[in-house]
Amino acid sequence: MKVVGVTACPTGIAHTYMAQEALEKECKKRGFDYHIETQGSIGIENELSQEEIDEADMIILAVSISIEEEERFEDKLVYHADVNEAVSDPKSVIDKAIDFYKKNKK
Amino acid sequence: MADFKSEMKNIQKSLLTGVSYMMPMVVVGGILLAISLTTGQATKDGFAVTNPFMLNLNILGKAALAMMVPVLSGYIAYSIAGRPGLTPGFVLGYIANNTVGASGAKTGFLGALLLGIVAGYFVKWMKSWKVHPSIRAIMPILIIPIVSTGVIGLLYIYIIAVPLTSFTNMLFAFLKNLNGTNKILLAIAIGLMNAFDMGGPVTKTVTMFTIGLMSEGIYGPNGIYRVCPGIPPMGIFLSTMLFRNKWTDADRAAAKTTGLMGFMGITEGAIPFVVADIKHTLPATMIGTAVGAVIAAIGNVKSPVPHGSFITLPVVEGKLWFTIAIIVGTVVTAVLLGILKPRISEAKKE
Repeated sequence: MKVVGVTACPTGIAHTYMAQEALEKECKKRGFDYHIETQGSIGIENELSQEEIDEADMIILAVSISIEEEERFEDKLVYHADVNEAVSDPKSVIDKAIDFYKKNKK
Repeated sequence: MADFKSEMKNIQKSLLTGVSYMMPMVVVGGILLAISLTTGQATKDGFAVTNPFMLNLNILGKAALAMMVPVLSGYIAYSIAGRPGLTPGFVLGYIANNTVGASGAKTGFLGALLLGIVAGYFVKWMKSWKVHPSIRAIMPILIIPIVSTGVIGLLYIYIIAVPLTSFTNMLFAFLKNLNGTNKILLAIAIGLMNAFDMGGPVTKTVTMFTIGLMSEGIYGPNGIYRVCPGIPPMGIFLSTMLFRNKWTDADRAAAKTTGLMGFMGITEGAIPFVVADIKHTLPATMIGTAVGAVIAAIGNVKSPVPHGSFITLPVVEGKLWFTIAIIVGTVVTAVLLGILKPRISEAKKE
């Protein structure tokens, strides 16, 4: 299972990175391949390439603001999550994302 | 109904996007302005900074604060409509934050917020037009920016600006009639109006009113008014310290700058917090500021300078009451915010 994601919060100094860490930890625990990009007030870090996005089995956008370079995700099936929920309950975010993909794929 | 709800959520997301881009601008403007004001002398025409180096810092700070409102509306529009939203958003935000038209109307950050949303949806709608392929190429660089900026801007100047000016004139007349007849009522009105739009048309009305009275040698209303500017930002700062479960760590970090700006009499520091959560923040700051204003009225505070908060303390008359008024107003704001704002975990579920 390849998971890619983006995290972003309004201030972009704390929750963005806490959400990234929480999602990475949860993916690691489940043995997934993962790459989580952050869009804090410093801009894009740990950037996702188009190939990674194309190859991913699951795309999770845990954002509460509009993100940069959103066009990379155009025409893709994307699960939208709350950035705060990703911080406090990453397990449920991943569970819901898996359900979402089961229901909507094909 | 579900559509309306998800649209409201989109607007909320756009407002937060605007705030996130505006934040560094507020910090730069606020800090540089605050540093320069520490060397200022209180004079009849305001807070005069004379040291040439500090004067340059002052110019930089003011430039950043002048940009913050256009950046807010620009990125609100950007969030709704993508790149083509930026131009009308920036231009209309600038227009809202400056006096326009023969009537000299100014709507401040509340106007900019609204214009940013309107511009965003207008551009989004224009993007959906089915146009001939030969025209499609010039849509984003020619037609969308010119039409959206022109149409909304002119509508704003001709339709909104005029009634707005008569509205501010009405407020002015209202304040004038209150003067002398009922000082406490006047103080409540000044406090509420000052905290309502933080530098917009309503605040400007109060400024015109108190400065007008100063030229006639009446310093009381100005004293009441100058207690107000620091209360919303300092109240927010205090609240983030007192109520840990109502604010995020990011809020707490940002509020430190806000508190300093409040101390220096720069109300604008509170704007990002207000935009992010208008319905809980505005009632708290308005009531807190009104309480401070009433205390200033009771204590007969007078101020000879058109600037406010603690930095002007050396020149005000009634220093003790001035201090008490600001502190009590700040505490009331902080506590009300603590009561009104939802817990972080509850907000998350919404």
